[in-house]
Amino acid sequence: MAKDILFYKLKQILFDEEWSESRKLAQKLEEVNNKIENRKELQPRVEPILNDKVDFLQQNFSSLFGPQVTRTIKTQIKESQDEVVEALYPIIGKMIKKYIARELELLSEKIDRQLDNAFSWENLWRKIRAWFGGAAASDMIIRDSVEPKLEQILVIEQRSGLLIGSFSVTPSIDQDMTAGMITALKSFASDAFYREAEDLEMIEYETFKLLIRNFQSFYIVAAVSGALTQHFKNHIDDLILDFADKVLNKKQESTAIEKEMKTYFKKSVDANQ
Amino acid sequence: MLISKKVILLGKFGVGKTSLIKRFVFQKFSEEYQTTIGVKVDKKILNIHGVELNMLIWDIAGETSSMRVPQSYKLGAHGVLYVFDVTRPSSYDNIQKELQEIGKLLPGVPVQVVGNKIDLLGDVRLQKFRASFFLEGVIYASAKEDVQVEEAFERLGKAILQ
Ligand SMILES: Nc1nc2c(ncn2[C@@H]2O[C@H](COP(=O)(O)OP(=O)(O)OP(=O)(O)O)[C@@H](O)[C@H]2O)c(=O)[nH]1
Ligand SMILES: [Mg+2]
Repeated sequence: MAKDILFYKLKQILFDEEWSESRKLAQKLEEVNNKIENRKELQPRVEPILNDKVDFLQQNFSSLFGPQVTRTIKTQIKESQDEVVEALYPIIGKMIKKYIARELELLSEKIDRQLDNAFSWENLWRKIRAWFGGAAASDMIIRDSVEPKLEQILVIEQRSGLLIGSFSVTPSIDQDMTAGMITALKSFASDAFYREAEDLEMIEYETFKLLIRNFQSFYIVAAVSGALTQHFKNHIDDLILDFADKVLNKKQESTAIEKEMKTYFKKSVDANQ
Repeated sequence: MLISKKVILLGKFGVGKTSLIKRFVFQKFSEEYQTTIGVKVDKKILNIHGVELNMLIWDIAGETSSMRVPQSYKLGAHGVLYVFDVTRPSSYDNIQKELQEIGKLLPGVPVQVVGNKIDLLGDVRLQKFRASFFLEGVIYASAKEDVQVEEAFERLGKAILQ
């Protein structure tokens, strides 16, 4: 209709400029929008700013936050002194105990050497007593301080690590599991350090020593506390050999072995005290 | 009567051996991965048809390409749980060869294969996996959600006592 066309023309004349302006504006808006939503477009623009900030933080971290961090840690330690002491106490205690036991062992060896070198009536008297008592002179000197004590005997099947029998003076943690772990340790040691025919003979743990004596199908572990002297080691060796010979080599039920162990080792522990 | 037996867990690193033991013995699970170093021995007593089976369970560090498990750990075992991870093909690609080697080292010793971490698959994918997996007699388990864990140890225990 002619009227419509006329009206349209009029609109064009009046608003043309505004239209193109608003179209341009819409386009601009879309571009900006794209830049914000599209990571690829945004990244190069924002990254330099972020990098600057990160660099600044890295360079100034200690001066910005250092004092505060230090203060927090200090207060934490101060407020939980009991916990700190509790955590350290057993470790330090054990270290000292182990150190003393070790030093006494060294001392014992040194005394032996000195006694061998020096002669005096007193020494001779000590030696004579030692011969009769069966203990080395140095052992007698330190006897009362840290006498070695047999704490536990385990008879364990080779390879499987199953416990065949046990005797212990003081109750201890699960012996089945202990037997397994010692067997694993033995396997590890022989794989890592020894050749076929060689075997682990002693494990030192804190002030404990585990003496290991191997037989064909089983092995025996003697747990000893205190300073292990050569004399005591011999005594344990004799005991183990004798026991293996008299009891273990006759095939027996596990319960019977257990019972025999009790009587056998109890007797010798009592006799030794 | 109490009978003691040694059971070992074998399988590649990270498949969930330690987690299965933890679930079975202590009823616990942890998301955190702490790789086993060497060996840890745990125990649990099972009652199987009136017999008390004292299971000494050896958790052995899983093999990686650079670390072989010492043979001596495996010796003297009365039963084996061979564990793989259903979501990790590298943990079962070679399984037949591994099982053969175990058979050679421990002739006549029962081996129970366990496919662990089924919670990560979901029902449908698990069905597909089972249908296409070439081994039979596998127990599909989840240490995380306590699925078929006890069954795995029990079935092995029964096989050991037979
Ligand atoms: N989702 C899920 N995760 C599991 C499951 N079992 C174990 N995991 C996770 O898998 C990771 C490894 O588990 P471990 O039990 O340490 O594996 P492993 O076989 O003992 O590993 P190594 O000792 O290194 O040989 C841990 O992060 C566990 O939380 C399971 O059933 N489901
Ligand atoms: Mg582990």
